[in-house]
Amino acid sequence: MSISVLQAVLLGILYWIGEANLPFVGLWTIQRPLVCGWIAGIILGDPLTGAMVGASINLVYLGFISAGGSMPADMALAGTLGATYAITGNLDAKTALALAVPIGILGTLVWYTRMTLDSVFVHLGDRFVDKEQYNKLWIANVLLPQIMSAAICIIPCSLAAYFGAAYIEDFVDMLSGTPLTIFQIIGGMMPALGIAITLQYIFKGESRAFLFLGFVIAVYSGLGLLPLGVIALLMAIVYTQLAYKQHEDKSKAAEEADMEEDF
Amino acid sequence: MAEETKTKEVRHVIPKKALYHAAFNWETWVQTNYNYERMMGMACGHTFVPVIDYLYKDDPDGAAKRKEVMQREMEFFNVHPEFGSCILGMAIALEEQKSLGEPIPGEFITSLKTSLMGPLAGIGDTIWQGVLIPILLAICIDITLTGTVWGSIIYLILMLVITYVFSFANFFFGYKQGSEAIMDFLEKGLLDRLLLGAQVMGCTVMGGLIANYVNVSCGLKLVTSGSTFNVQKQLFDAVMPGILPLGFTMLVYWLMKKRWTSIKIIVLIIVIGIVGGLTGILAA
Repeated sequence: MSISVLQAVLLGILYWIGEANLPFVGLWTIQRPLVCGWIAGIILGDPLTGAMVGASINLVYLGFISAGGSMPADMALAGTLGATYAITGNLDAKTALALAVPIGILGTLVWYTRMTLDSVFVHLGDRFVDKEQYNKLWIANVLLPQIMSAAICIIPCSLAAYFGAAYIEDFVDMLSGTPLTIFQIIGGMMPALGIAITLQYIFKGESRAFLFLGFVIAVYSGLGLLPLGVIALLMAIVYTQLAYKQHEDKSKAAEEADMEEDF
Repeated sequence: MAEETKTKEVRHVIPKKALYHAAFNWETWVQTNYNYERMMGMACGHTFVPVIDYLYKDDPDGAAKRKEVMQREMEFFNVHPEFGSCILGMAIALEEQKSLGEPIPGEFITSLKTSLMGPLAGIGDTIWQGVLIPILLAICIDITLTGTVWGSIIYLILMLVITYVFSFANFFFGYKQGSEAIMDFLEKGLLDRLLLGAQVMGCTVMGGLIANYVNVSCGLKLVTSGSTFNVQKQLFDAVMPGILPLGFTMLVYWLMKKRWTSIKIIVLIIVIGIVGGLTGILAA
């Protein structure tokens, strides 16, 4: 299935909103493949497939942290193009995921280009302040940098969507058999990365045992993540209550011991 | 205790509406011109635009002093947007009191901003991107993968609401309570407690994610005199279903602890996939 020029441009705009933080909340919302995959699906007339493929791709980027201006992977591009290729090429979610992850690595180029070029507009902003034209500051902070971002986001993404969609089916036909199985194996393993990155931040100290507890509960009960999330929340509340009760008792005891030492 | 000594009424010259506008400017345009030179510096300046005209109104030297404020706020600044919005509220309150004649040096405001920016960015990035987003995403991804678009919609709406409500509330917390309250909050055990709870909840949900969404299975079948031994079904599943995904995830975690980058791990996964797929050791 090939897509129209209009659809390709809309997909480019979707990527731009997700990547360029306009408004900023695009970073927490539309940038996530769960959301941009769904919107790409709406553009291509198949919201459900878009959302489901986006959701699968998002597993890889669960805990990706962009801090201090770094960007480990461009999930907005991976989500937008991954969903596009899945819909136009009839790919299953795992194959789309294996295809989307390298795209996400390529996409970081756009981010670093943007972070570098944006410095130009800072000096324009300084000039507005020097002339006391504070009401024009939005031109330097929003308008011009966003026009620049639009150019470097929309053009490559639209081209990749338009030409990629035209060839993706042939490409997948070529792959049928063992290569496709390999794509699915890779797609199945990739979510481990997203989970492992998240674990870097939370798999600490006393909370470690709960990873295995959650795993065992899910394996043997088959519960979905919503009920599991509720159970997890309750366990967290109970656990902190117990832990801090102990804490307080201990610090009280320590205080008393300190007092005794003083005498 | 503090209240008793503060008998002096705090005066305000900035109307509520202008403050809301400033908070909106911060949260909405904070990264529209994100750059390596000043990071969110100009966004800081943009946040001050709605309030700047109310400062030094009756001062004959007002224009020059306002310019000084704007130049000060355009300096390098980088923080977590939602957790850091209290710094902007605090900076506006300080500039307001300074304009009313309080003896606050300009350098004091700048150094207070820069000293709060590090800890708030650290905590903010960990709680926001390391706990809140992964848990919300995990649950919403699970909802969507049952075959509905509602997971995407719920995540989009929830995240928008949380972002703006939290950012605005935090902005006014900083404006009203000032720097002492922010430091109090950073030093009190409350934050550690929140972090511990978030870790417990996060780990449990991640455990469930491994069980549901990481797929590693062995494709080997040993044929011995007529009977076939399916390694995955008769060995691994018998020990515990999902034992391979759990082991693989822990391997990736361990490699990241060894300072492997995510790109290196992606390459490793691709290599394992190709080798495993060609030899038939791994199955889809």
